[in-house]
Amino acid sequence: MNDMTPPTIDPPYLYPGYRSTLLRSPKEKLLELPRGALDVPGPLVPKGFVRDGDNDLTIHGKSAPLGEKMVLVGRLLDADGRPIRDSLVEIWQANASGRYHHPGDTHDAPLDPNFHGIGRTFTNAQGEYRFVTVKPGSYPWRNHPFAWRPQHIHFSLLGNAPVQRLVTQMYFPGDPLLDIDPVYNSVPDPAARKRMISSLALESGIEGIALGYHFDIVLAGAKSTPLGI
Amino acid sequence: MDRTPSQTIGPFFHEGLRWRDGGKVAFAEEGKRIVLTGRIVDGAGDPVGDAMLETWQQSPRGTVPAATSGAKNPHGFGRVETSKDGTFRIETSMPGGAAPCIDIAIFARGLLKALRTRVYLAAQDKARADPMMSAIASSPRLKTLVATATGDGEFRWDVRLQGEGETVFFAF
Repeated sequence: MNDMTPPTIDPPYLYPGYRSTLLRSPKEKLLELPRGALDVPGPLVPKGFVRDGDNDLTIHGKSAPLGEKMVLVGRLLDADGRPIRDSLVEIWQANASGRYHHPGDTHDAPLDPNFHGIGRTFTNAQGEYRFVTVKPGSYPWRNHPFAWRPQHIHFSLLGNAPVQRLVTQMYFPGDPLLDIDPVYNSVPDPAARKRMISSLALESGIEGIALGYHFDIVLAGAKSTPLGI
Repeated sequence: MDRTPSQTIGPFFHEGLRWRDGGKVAFAEEGKRIVLTGRIVDGAGDPVGDAMLETWQQSPRGTVPAATSGAKNPHGFGRVETSKDGTFRIETSMPGGAAPCIDIAIFARGLLKALRTRVYLAAQDKARADPMMSAIASSPRLKTLVATATGDGEFRWDVRLQGEGETVFFAF
């Protein structure tokens, strides 16, 4: 191993425990690009792209959604610990019963007409984001017998540069399903795995109304900074 | 600090990540409008009907696309889903530069990490001359990164995730 060897933070493309990787993982050697080739400026999403209320997933129905209300806060950082500001954060999730508002989800759990499970926001000048939502339920899937996904919220981060683009999943502390979940366990390094687990942050919640959770996200380092920032 | 690992986008991203006009890529300047269509198949040759593609490219002038304002999508950036038959369609402007190309990221159920690749909208010898491609300049696999012109401003580019004719994907 030398300093050119990338750290094994991400999962491999082929992870047989997650069956869907079997036919979708490349077999040929990946092309090594010249150093820094992907470290170019990325798309700039204008502020008007996100509307007021887009970060509160609980206010778009006729009444409140079912489930355990929660506030999710955290910071978007780069590899040097610097905040990534004014950057788009998109989330999607199942409802409290473990059902996605999606035509492809046939899980026999009720849809909640007051919850679509979609949110977006920008990080602020300190790289912080905040969502209000409900805790997603677990749900069964067909990967293996008695397979159930741990509770999770999907995150999509654009960062500042293509090299920082990340889609990940946030999990909850103490979830017993983490131990048997191939998606979570596809990350080889146990310490890296744990960085996908949020922590309880009671004071970030709303007294008497919503539990608080904290989840920081660290993207790759990039030399590219959007123009004007 | 240590990076947060990648996880799959899963099968249920559509409503969450769908952008209005995500497949109609705009720029600040006029340019030749083109259409890129294609199909993604897996190692069995079956369509990948639940993928998301993101595109990023230079402006028609060959520069980093200028910022947008209001509620518009970012210039130069596209986001589309594949249909059940694995096909996708992107309307954009011809990128500038010596070897016009579009950078592609593919996300899907079964991809624990996005796949990155690039499609050239130019003759193969121009792709071969691109320093980014120096490691495969003499490889027959280079052609998997070159679109076929099928009409005026129309290009076709198919993606094979695995197996014979596998598309070249980038390490990152």
